Amino acid sequence: MWKYLLKKEFKQFLRDPGTPGMTLMFPFLIILVFPFASNMEIRNIKLVMVDNDCSEQSALMMEKCASSGYFEVKDIVNSPSEAQKMMDDGRIDAILTINAGFAKYIEGDVPATDALPVGIKVNTVNGTRGSIGSQYLNACVSSYVMSAKGMSGGTAGQSPQIDVTETYRYNEFLDYKEFMIPALIVIAITMMCGFLPALNIVSEKERGTIEQMNVTPVSKAAFIICKMVPYVVVAYFMVFSCMLLSWLAFGYGCAGSLLDVCIFTLAHIVVMASFGLLVSNYSENAQQAMFVIWFFSMAFMLVAGIFTPLESMPQWAKIVAYANPLTYYADAMRGIFLKGSTLADTWKDLVCLVGIGGTTTLWAILSYHKTN
Amino acid sequence: MLDSTAIKIEGICKAYKDTLALQDINLSIRQGEIFGLIGPDGAGKTSLFRILTTLTLADKGRASVNGRDVVEDMADIRRTIGYMPGHFALYQDLSVEENLNFYATVFGTTVEANYATIKDIYCQIEKFKDRRARDLSGGMKQKLALCCALVHKPEVLFLDEPTTGVDAVSRREFWAMLARIKESGVTIMVSTPYMDEARLCDRIGLILGGRIIDKGTPEEIISRYPDRLYAVRDENMFRILAALRPVEGVLRCSSFGCECHLALAEGGPSGEEILSVLSAAGIEGCSIEKIRPGIEDCFIRLS
Repeated sequence: MWKYLLKKEFKQFLRDPGTPGMTLMFPFLIILVFPFASNMEIRNIKLVMVDNDCSEQSALMMEKCASSGYFEVKDIVNSPSEAQKMMDDGRIDAILTINAGFAKYIEGDVPATDALPVGIKVNTVNGTRGSIGSQYLNACVSSYVMSAKGMSGGTAGQSPQIDVTETYRYNEFLDYKEFMIPALIVIAITMMCGFLPALNIVSEKERGTIEQMNVTPVSKAAFIICKMVPYVVVAYFMVFSCMLLSWLAFGYGCAGSLLDVCIFTLAHIVVMASFGLLVSNYSENAQQAMFVIWFFSMAFMLVAGIFTPLESMPQWAKIVAYANPLTYYADAMRGIFLKGSTLADTWKDLVCLVGIGGTTTLWAILSYHKTN
Repeated sequence: MLDSTAIKIEGICKAYKDTLALQDINLSIRQGEIFGLIGPDGAGKTSLFRILTTLTLADKGRASVNGRDVVEDMADIRRTIGYMPGHFALYQDLSVEENLNFYATVFGTTVEANYATIKDIYCQIEKFKDRRARDLSGGMKQKLALCCALVHKPEVLFLDEPTTGVDAVSRREFWAMLARIKESGVTIMVSTPYMDEARLCDRIGLILGGRIIDKGTPEEIISRYPDRLYAVRDENMFRILAALRPVEGVLRCSSFGCECHLALAEGGPSGEEILSVLSAAGIEGCSIEKIRPGIEDCFIRLS
């Protein structure tokens, strides 16, 4: 009987016009498209430079900024007001103004206490882009000034300098894609296992087929477990195809063990599926269920430290995040993928995930009524 | 065996929030009979079916199917009954054959083992066996649903409004099928809003507003009709109704298709007197005829 129930679910799954195709498409989208779209590295900052110095030094510095790779030099103009106009029109992100006396400053013809005759203006409508852009620009200018001053030998008695070198661990090139891919897999599994089983059960409710099933000796548990199995298979298919694709396309491997990935994925599937079931118990139709799950998925994703770090959230949002299964799954997946964390490191995540899963499963079972 | 009780319903009550769906229902249905539950939409037919098929719980009262309590022996009941809900509830994306195999399997049997039970009906849809259920016509869907409800050789068959929305020819065919199923010893409980189907049942229960207002064989119910009944024909029904309703001795006057059924009290006016009342009101040229009451007349009297 179980075999036939499963056979029926797989048959229905494969006959559905949308889902099999979606399942195949999703890993490609997740690995090959989304990481670029959800990239938070700031590049191509549109820069306009105002050169009031017109010296060799100012030309060299402009060249240095232009060649840094972060900026797209739109124009070099002579008047600050012209540059300001361009920023007001939203055509550029940053203005670098080099005032008269820049060359003299570099060559050490002015007292060292004088301010550097360089101004930076940044468009901060998009705060992240603005602040990171000004940092880049600052870094370019100061590194140029340092090296130029050193070369010209302007400062004779150099004071000892503290040189800080940074070492990046676990994601050494600060590649945002590598950081996002585990999280995007998390999102994909959430969508797959939160939405589809719930909608499937609600649609059985809507069509009345669940009623016909209820008068058979098939137990509720068998019915629901058999419903889940195709989605578990699909979820694993997605996890592994995403991993394979990211290895083929970017050369990212999983630093940790695949078994850990499997264990966490299973725990997360149980959480999301029981949550979906819970929603379907309280929904009359697919539209309702869809909206409720969509709402929660959205909230789960935003308050999970997937896109923005948990640490920078206010206290109340952290409390929400701690009740959110995605927080733990994403944390564990990132740990396993990037750091090679083992269960010894991530057991807290697993305990929380299992705890949340247990609660939702219990609630889902209790809320399934037969009276109406 | 034939006299023993198949379904026993004692004091069943059911309410949905403030709406009383069933109020103190008492019925007993015998082994091997076709019992018709007859009443208009919203009378509580489906609620009663859902309680008997263990899909929902009654607020009060007890019910049993073949001696098994609907609450305590739920699992046993599910194995031994067939239920066909009022709406098509099979998997639309599975084919005819797959649906049938599926329901046979979930009941732990096979189509082959019980082929004799469904052969009569299945042979009519066999040529569409590879077609998806959603692509079948209404009558075919209904036959498939009946096959699926019968495929595990149930002892009792519950059919909730099987003929609603089905054309006249298919309805007649369907009742012929029921008669054949009954021959094989299956107890059938069927609900319908169509009064004309009542005479096809062995016994019926009239249900209205959650109460059983009368029960018995169709003949018994008709013989209990106490009043004299006449059919009055005229091209303008409304003026007859308006003219006759205030007349003393006229108990009920209601339109029945192209005629008007007139119930007269014992000792009230005779047919001729009615005609003279009508002509006094300026209505000429109508005919009057004494008729035998039907189930619908009984229903109207009781409602």
